[in-house]
Amino acid sequence: MDIDLTAWQILIVKLLIILTVVPVGALIGGYVLHKEMAHMQHRLGPMYAGGWHGWAQTLADGIKFAYKEDIIPASADRRVFSMAPAVIFVPVLLLFLVIPIDRTLIIEDLDVGLFYLLAIGSVGAIGVLMAGWSSANKYALIGALRSAGQLIAYELPIVLSAAAVAMLAGSLSLVTIVEAQDWPFILWPPGIGLALFMLFILGAMAEMSLPPFDMPVAESELITGPFTEYTGMRFIFGFFFAETAHMIAFAGIGTTLFLGGYKPIVPWGPLEVIPGIIWFFVKTAFMIFLLLWIRFSFPRLREDQLQKFAWKFLIPLSLALILATGAWILYGPGG
Amino acid sequence: MAIKDPELQHLQDSSAFADEVSEGRLVTEQMLLNVGPQHPATHGVFRLLATIDGERIVRAEPVVGYMHRGYEKLVEQRDYRQITNLISRMDWLSGINNELPLALALEKLMEIEVPPRAQYLRVALAEMNRILNHLMFFQSFAAELGAITPTFYAFREREDIQYAMESVTGGRMHFGFFRPGGLKEDVPKGFIAMALASIRKVIERLPDYEDLLTGNEIFKQRTINIGLLEKEVAYAYGVSGPIGRGSDIDMDVRRDEPYLVYDEFDFDVCTAPHGDCFDRFWVLLHEIIESAKIVEQALEALPPGPILGKVPRVVEAPKGEVYIRTENPLGELGFYLVSDGGKRPYRIKIRTPSFSNVSALPHVLRDTLVADMIAILGSFFFVLGDVDR
Amino acid sequence: MVRDRLTAEDALERVTGALGERVVEARLNHGQVDLVVEADHLVEVVTILRDDIALRCRFFTFLSAIDRSTYNFDDGGGAGEDKKEKKVGTIEVLVHLYSPEKVFHVNIHVLLDFEKPVCPSITGVFVGAEWHEREAAEMFGIGFPGHPNLVKLYLSEDFEGHPLLKSFKLPARSFVKDWPGAKDPDEAAAGGR
Repeated sequence: MDIDLTAWQILIVKLLIILTVVPVGALIGGYVLHKEMAHMQHRLGPMYAGGWHGWAQTLADGIKFAYKEDIIPASADRRVFSMAPAVIFVPVLLLFLVIPIDRTLIIEDLDVGLFYLLAIGSVGAIGVLMAGWSSANKYALIGALRSAGQLIAYELPIVLSAAAVAMLAGSLSLVTIVEAQDWPFILWPPGIGLALFMLFILGAMAEMSLPPFDMPVAESELITGPFTEYTGMRFIFGFFFAETAHMIAFAGIGTTLFLGGYKPIVPWGPLEVIPGIIWFFVKTAFMIFLLLWIRFSFPRLREDQLQKFAWKFLIPLSLALILATGAWILYGPGG
Repeated sequence: MAIKDPELQHLQDSSAFADEVSEGRLVTEQMLLNVGPQHPATHGVFRLLATIDGERIVRAEPVVGYMHRGYEKLVEQRDYRQITNLISRMDWLSGINNELPLALALEKLMEIEVPPRAQYLRVALAEMNRILNHLMFFQSFAAELGAITPTFYAFREREDIQYAMESVTGGRMHFGFFRPGGLKEDVPKGFIAMALASIRKVIERLPDYEDLLTGNEIFKQRTINIGLLEKEVAYAYGVSGPIGRGSDIDMDVRRDEPYLVYDEFDFDVCTAPHGDCFDRFWVLLHEIIESAKIVEQALEALPPGPILGKVPRVVEAPKGEVYIRTENPLGELGFYLVSDGGKRPYRIKIRTPSFSNVSALPHVLRDTLVADMIAILGSFFFVLGDVDR
Repeated sequence: MVRDRLTAEDALERVTGALGERVVEARLNHGQVDLVVEADHLVEVVTILRDDIALRCRFFTFLSAIDRSTYNFDDGGGAGEDKKEKKVGTIEVLVHLYSPEKVFHVNIHVLLDFEKPVCPSITGVFVGAEWHEREAAEMFGIGFPGHPNLVKLYLSEDFEGHPLLKSFKLPARSFVKDWPGAKDPDEAAAGGR
């Protein structure tokens, strides 16, 4: 079947796909978050909304937030305050453009896909600063400054580990990176693969301000940090959606870079029948589970300890790993 | 840009400002941060005026009194029996321990003898309440540092113990059970087994909780050498309880001046040498184990008999004054009872542990970081009802 | 750490020995040392109690006050017999110290003039007295010269009056209701509450 669409129509279809899939994904992700956290804490989680085990809980929350009054503090900087959530949320949406769900199922297969991901991912830091500064609230300001420092510091482990992966695959295009991966995925090159994966996870957790790196939004100190003054839809889009969608995006990116994306786990005959999409979702679900698991288990690092950890340990480690990867490529097996 | 700090006023003129900065000095202003009175980290309505320079606290001054209910005035106009329920609401996490000093003071002044069964049961209930209190602070301290999961484990353990106490007293948090002379009524059948089972469950799971937190590297980094309270300073402020014992003060009323029948039980007093947040927390956890030991010994050796001694029809304390102190879960709770005969006290000075503990905060909070302030407030184990009375 | 526990009588002996002329009166009350001290000597007394090697009352328990204006002194109760004239209508400051090593308590009563109660501050000796003195000042109207920051602790700045004085009546309780339930065990057994 040949569908002939003009470039504009294709663009609109792609936008619609993102604008529906991502929020729905965030809703499901939020539900998973509630349930996983609940069961790990010896309780049940949402049970009532929607009837069966509270499946409509996040949907109900979203609708509730839509009804809330939009309050902007009197001494806040109105324009910056209103724009900040957008600056945080839109880049997260754009991350989904290049993640390959299957060999041919990708919104836009950019040749510099990885570079695009890393660049777009860092724009959110500005949004956080905007939110904190314009709120005219001392706690929000403290949260924003902590956040800015943290986001900048932890960009590097992500960038460097992704760069190492690109070196191993020989390309920045995400589809090529997935194709270049083979069983046993992160266990190869030995040691280096696992270390890179760990770096990526730690960097991703810090980028998303998840515990143990959630100083900026430390609930017991700063309420919600830079987003304290936000209500209603601005809060939902800037904070909750962004965080959940961001988590899904990073899970997807992690799957693509390290776990083999849409490839079956083991190259064994019967498993190859299962379509790539399923594999991708299984692996992404595993990554999300892992991120959430770490989230509920640890107390939070203090900001200066967090920075020390990044600058004195993670970054030197990632630089060392880049060197090791380079050495592996030149002198290791496979040439 | 208007500069508020009087010491930096000379920089108002922008060229002077440029000079100042270009000479390699960074111009900063101190900020007055109001922590509370509504804030998730302060257990209750507690306000801390912190002057911060970046992330460093220069000076912190607690402002209390948001929950002041005027207990010392209220008790002057109430019958001794009416006071029991009132004072139970001071330190609301140690409900039954608050009723104890009043009962003991009246028994001392009126020279009432309490039957042994009542004494043993009082000990058991008081120690069970101590375990409830410590579990609560265990989870609140962890939650403030970001570990949200221990909250649910602690509440699960508390549930069983509260059920046992409810079967006896009818209350889960405020009990109104101790009378001068003994108890209100005897325990129901099955209470001993229920209580022992719930205590043993706590002890079984405690090593896990300890590992979850005290073994965690992040937790250690956030609490070791943070919030140091020196021993002499603690003495000067009157700091007692787990906080005092975390600063190497080896004081425990149950051992030093035994009341009820504490001298018949075998238990240790836990102290820790450094006086930082970790040590206070460690003492808290280990006190749970000691309390459980006492409960087991008390309930297993429970003698039969009456639960109320010979109390005259009208509870009237003779003329006199006495200071009775007990080891409340949070420290030393003391009642200085002044009676001039009559059904109502002339004056009761209620010496609450959290009041003295919190007054030491300005000293401990000097020159710490804002994030550490949260850890320190959490490790100080205070209840606002106790601070404000 | 309990080093050498003193009996109450030994404690009284040591205390009076160390303080000598500075106390007006010293006796034992329910196993605790009870002293009556003049306001001028308070700081000295407290310092000696804290620093004397044989005493070491380092633990500051509390500082409060008692308004004795309606106290019934008739048959010699309270701290001190035979001082009815001096004590009627006084406010006294009560300081309680404890020695953790020797395990004994000291109650120090400082009798103050009712019209203008002033007591020197002991914050120089025990830092912890700061908050206690603030509370006593706002509740009883006692002045504490030498205190670094004598502002109200519990009450709001515009509060008028001193609540814990006997002359301050609580509006809701200007009469006291009788105990509503059974007044003695017989009544209770017969079905009252």
